[in-house]
Amino acid sequence: MNRRDLIQGVSASLVSVRLISNPLLHAEPQHRVSADDRVRVGVVGPGSRGQELIRQLLRVRGVEIAAVCDVYEPRFAEVNTLVGKQVPGYLSFHEFLEHKDIDCIFIATPPVYHAPYAIAAMKNGLPVYGEKTIGFTPEDCTSVVHAVNATGQIFQVGHQLRYASWVRESIKRVHAGQIGEPTHVYAYWHRSDDWRREVPNPKLEHLINWRLYRESSGGLLEELGSHHIDITNWVFGEAPQTAVGSESIVVHHDGRTVGDNVQAIFGYSKGRRMFFSALTDNAMMADQLWIYGAEGSVQITLEDATFYNPTRKSITAASHAEIVQKGIETGATYQANWEMPYRGPGERLYMKREEDATLTACRAFIECVREKRQPIADVHVGFCSGVACAVGKRALESGQVVHLPQLASE
Amino acid sequence: MGTVYSLYIYADSPSQAERYGEIAFAEIDRIEALLSHYRPSSELSRINRAAFVSEVTTDPETFAFLSAAFEWSARSNGAFDISVGRLMKVWGFFGGSGSRPAPADLLVARESVGWGKVVLDRDHRSVRFRSPGIELDPGGIGKGYAVDRAVQLLQALGVPAALLSAGSSSIYALGSPPGASGWKIRVPAANRQQSISSVTLTNSSLSTANLTEKHFIADGRLYGSIMNPDTLHPIDGVAQVTVISASAMDSDVMSNALFVLDHDGRHDLLRERPQDAALVLGGPGAGFSYEATRWPAPIAERDDVDLLRLMIGDEGENLL
Repeated sequence: MNRRDLIQGVSASLVSVRLISNPLLHAEPQHRVSADDRVRVGVVGPGSRGQELIRQLLRVRGVEIAAVCDVYEPRFAEVNTLVGKQVPGYLSFHEFLEHKDIDCIFIATPPVYHAPYAIAAMKNGLPVYGEKTIGFTPEDCTSVVHAVNATGQIFQVGHQLRYASWVRESIKRVHAGQIGEPTHVYAYWHRSDDWRREVPNPKLEHLINWRLYRESSGGLLEELGSHHIDITNWVFGEAPQTAVGSESIVVHHDGRTVGDNVQAIFGYSKGRRMFFSALTDNAMMADQLWIYGAEGSVQITLEDATFYNPTRKSITAASHAEIVQKGIETGATYQANWEMPYRGPGERLYMKREEDATLTACRAFIECVREKRQPIADVHVGFCSGVACAVGKRALESGQVVHLPQLASE
Repeated sequence: MGTVYSLYIYADSPSQAERYGEIAFAEIDRIEALLSHYRPSSELSRINRAAFVSEVTTDPETFAFLSAAFEWSARSNGAFDISVGRLMKVWGFFGGSGSRPAPADLLVARESVGWGKVVLDRDHRSVRFRSPGIELDPGGIGKGYAVDRAVQLLQALGVPAALLSAGSSSIYALGSPPGASGWKIRVPAANRQQSISSVTLTNSSLSTANLTEKHFIADGRLYGSIMNPDTLHPIDGVAQVTVISASAMDSDVMSNALFVLDHDGRHDLLRERPQDAALVLGGPGAGFSYEATRWPAPIAERDDVDLLRLMIGDEGENLL
């Protein structure tokens, strides 16, 4: 596998092998924690997602939350409650970076800050776990890759589903041919939720509800769809080549500037397609992703996966029943059932370890810090989904087909 | 866990009430995701899977929850015990309505029940099981905990009056409805049809443990789902226990602990908690009997009614 394969392919087979061969991703270390095992973590942006990362990190042996950084001061008290002790808090990112007792940092700020903070931290000698997406613009994404290459630092992107046991097993089976050649991925993230957060003071609207405004957010495509795009990249073994889509505000006319619904189509080689839909006024479909192949389908959710391999079609052979239409005998058979949704049973994957994927991802990153190696969800994984989102936003705005840039070899 | 939560709330506007409701239910969802042993991805399920193999480091909230649960085990001399998960499965109450276990299954369960077999290490915030097969079951404390956490958020938001209930087992009354001295709560009889008492609550909680909430009948006996961790059998002799406490977690635990304890044990535990009130109804075959401790309202005497028939209705007619 050459470098281009890594960048373009995010090779699923490679990922699978590495996951399986790495027991540290599957179990906590058996030995007693010693002082040497301690990893001191700094967290930038301990809002809702940042606090979830802290909660999961506190479940990893030997991790200490050493410092946090946020421009919104009330977060510090929330972190203290969560951690159960006083954690040093910094309003300034640069002062935070000067904190001496940090071994690595987690970045959970609005995505517009992901790239500059990650680059600054790596240049300061710190491994980085960066929430998706790795950059807000294609240029940001490229800069982060260059920074990883230049500094040699550990970088993991927050695509935690790369670490979910049921997702890993599903992709492994897809690549083994269980549903035939995968050609389409249909992904949904439908909610009945205005996506708003409580704002104690109107002046804080853009700070608290940054997800709703274009200058700080890529909207539903970036915040939700990036995970699905990443899984699709994994399935197809490459980054998308084109993006087209639309968004509008249909329900929540509250001043937001990102859509409250999104439909996007990403084009991959050989005509393969990924469709993403996000709604905020109907949660019927919830969060699920379907991978379709000629011989079956798999449904992946946040907690499980189910394979469907309905009886193969038999209607392509010579007909057993004939239809007479306008006096002409045709050779086509007609089975109304084929036009109805399949309602038969599927094969649900039962995994021994169905723990929270974010916990597994956090633990894997901490082990990478201890062992000084790059993670599975590395910067190349992050680049492929990040650049898709960055370009996808432009496609939503323009309504035009937009081609994705590829990462130039260094 | 896995029950239906209901919220009644007073607010300045419907939209504000809706917003408060979203916040409260989001917190309940979070607690469910943390503690539900029906969810493989919950933190409690992770501990159940791994804590015999090696120490499991957990987060401060989960550790505090487990510490509180085991403090209750110590305080109640083991009458309250969340290590009964395997026992609940052996008796068919995990995701089912129950069935009599094989004697061999009970022998195996004996090894995997007992709060003393769970080691909490405060320094490392870790959990370790001393025996294989131990499964922690948050029934009897988890719903109360979820109610308390949601109520704390509502209090922080300045909500003046709300009533939050977890299924039919735990209720917390926050403040009082406008113009009222508190929230009026009807305590049902064991058959859930008639009322046996009516109390008015404000900033306090009421929980009920009931023999017939989940049960099965075999060989002329009614088996409920509240287990005696010592005998490994369902409790009989008690039909229902209702407790009023300052918090929903306390009332939830107390109602279950008092259900398991005998008369003297109940007396001792209630003496240690002078702020609590309890109403214990006798079980099938005892006629109508009750023990009331500091109960703040009249109790309807129902000695003209056969309690067993009330409790299990037509299903129990052939047992009489």
